[in-house]
Amino acid sequence: MKLPYSMFSRRSFLNGLLAGLGTALAGTFIGPVIRFVFPPYKEPDEVRLAFVDYKDMKPGEIKGFAWGIKPGFLKLQENGAYLPLVGVCSHLDCNVAYLPDQKRFFCACHDGWYDENGLAIKGPPPAPLRRLAAAVEGEEIIIRKAQG
Amino acid sequence: MTKLAAWFEERLGLSAIAKFGAKKEVPRHKHTIWYYTGSAILVFLMIQIVTGIMLAFYYRPTLEGANESIARIMTELPMGWIVRSIHSWSATFMIAILFVHLLSIALTKAYRSPREVTWMTGFLLLVVALAFGFTGYLLPWDDLSLAATKVGTDIPRAIPVVGAWATKFLRAGDDVTGDTLTRFFILHVSVLPLAIFLLLGVHFFLIQKHGMSLPLEAETRKKRLRSIPFWPNFVFREAAVWLVLLGVLLTVAILFAPSLGPSADLMAPAPTGIKPEWYFLFLFQTLKLFPAKVWFIPGETIAVFLIGIGALAFFLLPLIDNRPAEKKGRMASAFVLAVIVYALAMSAWSLL
Repeated sequence: MKLPYSMFSRRSFLNGLLAGLGTALAGTFIGPVIRFVFPPYKEPDEVRLAFVDYKDMKPGEIKGFAWGIKPGFLKLQENGAYLPLVGVCSHLDCNVAYLPDQKRFFCACHDGWYDENGLAIKGPPPAPLRRLAAAVEGEEIIIRKAQG
Repeated sequence: MTKLAAWFEERLGLSAIAKFGAKKEVPRHKHTIWYYTGSAILVFLMIQIVTGIMLAFYYRPTLEGANESIARIMTELPMGWIVRSIHSWSATFMIAILFVHLLSIALTKAYRSPREVTWMTGFLLLVVALAFGFTGYLLPWDDLSLAATKVGTDIPRAIPVVGAWATKFLRAGDDVTGDTLTRFFILHVSVLPLAIFLLLGVHFFLIQKHGMSLPLEAETRKKRLRSIPFWPNFVFREAAVWLVLLGVLLTVAILFAPSLGPSADLMAPAPTGIKPEWYFLFLFQTLKLFPAKVWFIPGETIAVFLIGIGALAFFLLPLIDNRPAEKKGRMASAFVLAVIVYALAMSAWSLL
């Protein structure tokens, strides 16, 4: 069938086809490059701690642990449950320190302060320290990502 | 938009380049096919730059970390194995086409006046490319790369007076150690890239300055010579060649990914049947040929001396064969052909 007129000239159709194929080809190369350059970061699903190391803690006491490659803090609460926190400041990603005599977390980067439960109380931090979930199972304390 | 374009045009004067590109023509004759080799080398160089930067994002140039970091690139990072495979194969393709490029110019006598310096920068680019290959071979730090580097860095020692010093410089001391690895890494990712860009700049400038060289037969029939515009006709033809080469490269890279041996042990004996990269095979075989001593001179010294003379003759070819363009130059052709035959025969022999 021959159409009486066309919106495309043959030249513009071919140019579009060529540009489209070129773009698709470039995309197939750039896609993997981007995937390679941004490697998947996997944070641990769970961390298992030996209960022996933590069973002598007094209520209110805080002890450190490793949450993958990040510092974690485990607090024994008054009701006997454990509260695990990720010790990374919610402001600009610095690691925080726990000052036991003041019962506060301190971030030296921009003078940020959190209370012993990780709630932001002073300075620039916009949010509390991230909370994880802990459960004692047999001889181990299992730290997991908090639900929700 | 036009205002912005005018603003830049007034300051940069880029339309001169566009004008040059529109005017540039590529002559058509039976040797036109060799013109494609130059841009093909460039395509592989671009691939080397991109994949090299990608690998360097994760590579660790230390005694403890090198081998492990390559293993991580190949097993953990998405598409990492193919990035390394492409980097390795693209180097091979680039050097292969470099040889074709060089030999086609040697045989069509395109190096003759006024293009002597273009040839010389081209030869230096070949040396830099081989240095890239040699330094890159050590970086995975497995038993093969260690043995190859021990041998390769020991060869300069055969040169009288300065040889021992050269070996020491390459190795960062008397032996191949972790410092050699770090040194080769910085040569590979910093010093050699600077050298290649500098040389390429001069090489390109001279090619544009002198225009495409015409082979002998075409030169004599200059009046009837046809030509095609560089943009877009020639570039599109080149792009078709690039696509084919890219397809071959990817296929080979996927099917034959390079292996990775366990981390090199400085105390372990050299693995049996070690061979350098294919483009060093003819030198490797030449070195094997010479006995320990010829009269009172060490055989290695003679071999290195002869190889040096051959390389120098290639570098100075336009000055040795400095006759006007219309002369045939059978001697030069014979020399180049002899070198090709020698290199191919030696490479074949070393693989037996």
